Amino acid sequence: MSETVNVTFVADDDVRTAVTVATGSHLLDASREAELEVIATCGGRGRCRSCRTKVLRGAVPPPTIMDEVQLGPDEVHEGFRLSCQTRAIADCEIMLAPPTSEGGHKLLGSEGDITGRTGIDLDSGVVKHLVTAKIPTEEHEQTSDIEEILTAIGGDGPGTMAMDLLRDLPEVLRKEKGTVTVTTFNGTIIDIEPGDTTAHKYGLAFDIGTTSIVGSLVDLNTGEQLAAMGDVNPQAVYGGDLMSRLAFAQFSPQSLRKLRSRVVKAVSDQIKEGCDEAGIDPAHVYKVVVVGNTAMHHIFLGIDPTYVGLAPYSPTMRNAIELPSAELLLKVIPRARVCFLPIVAGFVGADTMGAVLATRIDESDEIRVVVDIGTNGEVVMGRRGKLMACSAPAGPALEGAQIRHGMRGAVGAIEKVEIGDDVTCDVIGNAPPIGICGSGLIDAVAKMLDAGVLHPSGRFHLKDRETLPPKLAMRLIAGGTGKGEFVLARADESGKDEDITLTQVDIRQLQLAKGAIYAGVLMLQRIMEVPDDDIAEVQMAGGFGNYINIESAVRIHLLPALPLEKITYVGNAAALGAQMALVSERERNRANDIAREIEHVSLAARPDFQDIFMEALCFPGDENVELLASAQTG
Amino acid sequence: MTTPTLKIPEGWEGRAPDGWDWVPLWEAIEQGGHIFTDEFVRGAIDAGINPRVILDDGLFPGFNLQGDRFTEQIIFIPEMLITARAMKAGLALIRPLLAANDEKPLGIFVMGTVLGDMHDIGQSIVTIMLENAGFEITNLGTDVHPDRFIETAMEQKADLVGFSALLSTTVYYQKVTIEEFEKAGHRGKVNILIGGAPTTQEWANEIGADGWGKDAIAAVNLAKDLIAKNREAWA
Ligand code: B12
Ligand code: FES
Repeated sequence: MSETVNVTFVADDDVRTAVTVATGSHLLDASREAELEVIATCGGRGRCRSCRTKVLRGAVPPPTIMDEVQLGPDEVHEGFRLSCQTRAIADCEIMLAPPTSEGGHKLLGSEGDITGRTGIDLDSGVVKHLVTAKIPTEEHEQTSDIEEILTAIGGDGPGTMAMDLLRDLPEVLRKEKGTVTVTTFNGTIIDIEPGDTTAHKYGLAFDIGTTSIVGSLVDLNTGEQLAAMGDVNPQAVYGGDLMSRLAFAQFSPQSLRKLRSRVVKAVSDQIKEGCDEAGIDPAHVYKVVVVGNTAMHHIFLGIDPTYVGLAPYSPTMRNAIELPSAELLLKVIPRARVCFLPIVAGFVGADTMGAVLATRIDESDEIRVVVDIGTNGEVVMGRRGKLMACSAPAGPALEGAQIRHGMRGAVGAIEKVEIGDDVTCDVIGNAPPIGICGSGLIDAVAKMLDAGVLHPSGRFHLKDRETLPPKLAMRLIAGGTGKGEFVLARADESGKDEDITLTQVDIRQLQLAKGAIYAGVLMLQRIMEVPDDDIAEVQMAGGFGNYINIESAVRIHLLPALPLEKITYVGNAAALGAQMALVSERERNRANDIAREIEHVSLAARPDFQDIFMEALCFPGDENVELLASAQTG
Repeated sequence: MTTPTLKIPEGWEGRAPDGWDWVPLWEAIEQGGHIFTDEFVRGAIDAGINPRVILDDGLFPGFNLQGDRFTEQIIFIPEMLITARAMKAGLALIRPLLAANDEKPLGIFVMGTVLGDMHDIGQSIVTIMLENAGFEITNLGTDVHPDRFIETAMEQKADLVGFSALLSTTVYYQKVTIEEFEKAGHRGKVNILIGGAPTTQEWANEIGADGWGKDAIAAVNLAKDLIAKNREAWA
């Protein structure tokens, strides 16, 4: 391979611009080299489509998952690529092809045709057979309604058919002179309707999270998403975080009933809402795929989650299951089969399985890492044939909780911080700041470390304040606690009559949170003997991960120090995984294989965890790390 | 807040050989230099300084300084830990000598994380700090059944017992364990301390613990106070 390649860009009006760039450069960078204006709405992270191009001539590497997700297999097949994801490896001719309308960031699992976005075949397992069965006419024939239907669809036995279908059958069969639509799920009859209803075959995917429940309604004939639903988990009144909810349910069947009825109602409401929006009859929903953490999974199933919350945190069941909707009290969808993805461990649940499905790290030849950044986060690391997972319980600081001026990522939250001679903040909704969200916190701390406001141990440089640029020195105040506080926005600029600051205690909370996640990654790296260089990609999952500034996440050692292009966002991968298992039985079965393959690492059982965690608590460059290493426990 | 400062032991010069200087040791402990500490303490022993004096004048000043900073949340866990480890390196040399001089530990302490809980970073720091402060400690580890706490307390004739819990689901077992001590008829013989991030003074009051420690330094101070309290004697 030569060291440079020639890239020729062809614009709309056929104007050609050629540049020579280093082999392996991203096309987006090459276009900048050529001084062409390519809009990179998401900052070149593969999260939008604004940098779309078409390869006219020359070889380019195979599409990345981002290409497939954003552009779909058809476009990819036609040679469209995201220029921010595609590297120039040989001389090539590239047409700039930004989409004509770009409606903001398109996130994974948000809209459109799922099969298209993920490149999987439509094979939901739900089949509708339109048949005309013989209505028994002669007494001596020794037959029955159901036998005639089975003959017509070519089935061999009624399977575990629901009794109520049989109860309605005499009427159903005769209504349209024997013409019926028989619906089967993996061979079992789950519905029989008079006439032709083959056009109506729908499914639902749900991610039941501790904080929110998101669902989507999908046309199983086309793979297209018809409606997207989402709301807070109404169980929150009985405990905001997972553990307090488990504490509420602990040893109390009555509390469990309360929690269960709330999730059943929330899911039922979302189903009604989605079906209304799409104008379909919920009776035509035949398959539902549910993911969620182990506790949410158990509670939805009515299984006592007490022991999930107590060491050794073992779940009651781990295998995938499929149940009639009645078992889940989902009366709105009487004909549906509800499938739960498998669980790996008490704190590595079906949601993690969904994320693994969606990111396909089980099919990767190189080592990849999926990190779900959340209160009860998880880390999965590995490649084809070797996968390991652990829980990484960050706590809520990265979501803005337990931080003095912390808040969720809503209007008024500082989400980005720049520090030069002075501080500038980007605020969500361009409003006066009223607080700081998790991504703002990560960004602020990264910049404070760069500016020398913070020592790598996480301590404010109060003593050396004079060495800072004067405007920064003024912002570094002793504060009410006297331990140091850094003013991000002064009272007169803020939206709430007081300084928006970060306190020393806030920094410590951040350290504990990022330390838990980084320690999880470090531990799996150590066990699997994977140096940083061997990691092909780190994928950040979870609703919150998408907003984190990757550079800052690396700067504070929330994530390993990899080249930034190796770190990507995958959005709500758990929900996407559920959708994939909805439209494809192959994918759903793959989840079972993966679940058997993943090895769960209990960090608490590792004697070296404490030392790794102490290292992970520090910021890069802290000389204490060496001292810690040389004075290991014992 | 008062900024913690190094408290120089009064009249230390009189207790050390001429020209002796503790400053390097104070700093080594403060900075967690465990190798330097080990060497320096060996030197002090060789110089014939009384082990009690090495401890009070040599080891404690730097240790207490960092402890104060830790309570004030000025320094963080890793820094406290390296200081504690350096301290431990020094103590390892001193302790046999103290024992030979018939010095008794400040008290007997049984520590553990309650049933259902696997978190032990916090309680292991408490343990090392108590140890450094002169308590004799048996650490039962994590996921400890109430019966094991009781048996060990009996065996050791413990003065104090500590229950750590980090989960909303397991603070409940702090309560249960105290009740079990009651049922076994041993509640009056021990002082019970509880701690861990989700616990509070109110919770300690509610479940009838003798004390709650917000951090490892508070735990040491509490233990020192409570040891003076009158208790029923172990049989
Ligand atoms: C490190 C950690 C772990 C480690 C524990 C390793 C170990 N050997 O201890 C690992 C990764 C194993 C772990 C596991 C789990 N964890 Co965890 N973990 C944490 C974390 C990040 C820090 C806790 C810690 O060590 N703090 C530092 C120490 C020094 O502080 P401390 O314990 O409070 O101790 C101080 C004081 O409290 C006091 N003290 C402590 N004990 C005592 C005792 C006495 C007698 C006294 C006087 C004082 C005292 O002195 C100490 C020093 O000053 C917190 C999150 C956070 N941001 O804080 C979550 C956290 C505690 N974990 C949590 C959970 C839920 C879990 C899991 C049960 C589930 C999960 N999501 O993974 C699992 C168990 C699963 C499994 N299979 O292991 C939750 C608890 C939530 C709640 N309200 O109940 C937290 C808060 C995170 C979250 N999700 O919100 N965890
Ligand atoms: S810039 Fe958004 S996908 Fe390339």
